[in-house]
Amino acid sequence: MKLDFSFIWTACVGLLPAVPTTLKITLVSVLCGLAIGTFVALCRMYRVPVLHRIAAAYVTIIRGTPMLTHLLILYVSIPLVVDGLADRFEWSFRSAQIPMIGFAYLSFSITAGAYLSEVVRSGLLAVNKGQMEAAHAVGMTTVQGLRRIVFPQAFAAALPNLTNSLIGMLHGSTLAFTVSVVDINAQAEILATTNWKFFEAYLAAALLFWGMTVLIERLSALLERRVTRYNRGGVA
Amino acid sequence: MGTKFDIRYVFEYFVKLLPYIQISLFIVASSIVLGLVFGLLAAIPRLYRVPVLQRLSQVYASFFRGTPILIQLFLFYYGLPELLKLIHIDVTRVPVLVFVILVYGLHSGAYVSEGIRAAVTAVDRGQVEAAYAVGMSGFKAFTRIVFPQAFAIAVPILANLVIATLKDTSLAFTLGVMELTGKAQTLPTMSRHFIESYIALAAIYFIVSVVLERLFLLVERRMLKHERETGNADRVPLGKKWLKKRTNAGLALSKGGNRA
Repeated sequence: MKLDFSFIWTACVGLLPAVPTTLKITLVSVLCGLAIGTFVALCRMYRVPVLHRIAAAYVTIIRGTPMLTHLLILYVSIPLVVDGLADRFEWSFRSAQIPMIGFAYLSFSITAGAYLSEVVRSGLLAVNKGQMEAAHAVGMTTVQGLRRIVFPQAFAAALPNLTNSLIGMLHGSTLAFTVSVVDINAQAEILATTNWKFFEAYLAAALLFWGMTVLIERLSALLERRVTRYNRGGVA
Repeated sequence: MGTKFDIRYVFEYFVKLLPYIQISLFIVASSIVLGLVFGLLAAIPRLYRVPVLQRLSQVYASFFRGTPILIQLFLFYYGLPELLKLIHIDVTRVPVLVFVILVYGLHSGAYVSEGIRAAVTAVDRGQVEAAYAVGMSGFKAFTRIVFPQAFAIAVPILANLVIATLKDTSLAFTLGVMELTGKAQTLPTMSRHFIESYIALAAIYFIVSVVLERLFLLVERRMLKHERETGNADRVPLGKKWLKKRTNAGLALSKGGNRA
């Protein structure tokens, strides 16, 4: 068998329709994860009774187990729960109506939430405590101080970690093929098996992911320069 | 799909999965060893700025960090035999495990090379200068002064990498390796108790990663002994707890022994 380099290009084009799926899974999971993560981080930092213990357990358990197990557990347990509830309350909604990508969204959001809560927490801790005290001193409430003073600075401090998490989730989204969502990885497999050109198809997928990762890194570097403008040293 | 949840199956599968920990750990251990070799090979050209090799190692690290491990697994498992066939080497009889370890080794090697770079650059420049000042050669300065300190800094990085690799080995089942995840998926085919099996699987991963984390924490404490002693002497007694913490972190950072 000879290597067919022109097929790498063909495969790249063939993979393009699957790119939105990958991006959707990544973005949804990171955004939902950010919301969960911020809530969890705040619960832990302000030691909300009961909740902060649950939050700590959530973070430890999720970070101690592979992303794949979260997906698998949810994939088999949600239909059971939904169908059980549907039987009891006589809904017409059955678990079979849940789109496959829904499992990916939900599971990856939960995974991302745990990792991002640590990112948010380290970002918030990086902000000097005096900032919040100053916000209180000028008469802001805690919520106002968080939103106007602490979060913008924490975002700047957390941006590199945030980028890493985003890339991690982009790479993690390839797991979605286990619940038969056709993302880039699954599309590569389809192309590989129909054309019997495994190397070329997967190389195309790898190049696509590589390109996206580099792009995210570049964008993040640009953004970082913008958001850390307030505390750059030196003159000018 | 599946049947009613039955907690007894969790325990049953938990026990049945236990022997497969060694396969997962074997993959982790051998790929980390391989990764340390690859990582060191890739880090040296970048630390000493060797012209062409520096570029190559950059591309290597960027590729393996920039693509998902799953894609890499497929790429190597299906692609490498085809490539080697071009130069008339037949690897179709090589066991899957070899490919899996090779890919995880290359993958972790990319992270190791970045870790080594970060750790070595974190060692204060003055340390090398002091070593030269007392008459050590370049090699001696590296092995006696820089390496022990850099290693202490690198332990947390390595710990993260080992645990991440452990979690990544759950993907080896896609190539048909019978490790923890693969077994957890085949065990309940008769009983249809998938949830219980996956919960047992998650529990095992959790326990193993917690144990690994603890072990590395012990190693780290041991390695950073020299830092802590000086750190204690320098500690400024300040009223507020958080203030004290920040001062200490600042002191450690200036010494180049922090995990930054």
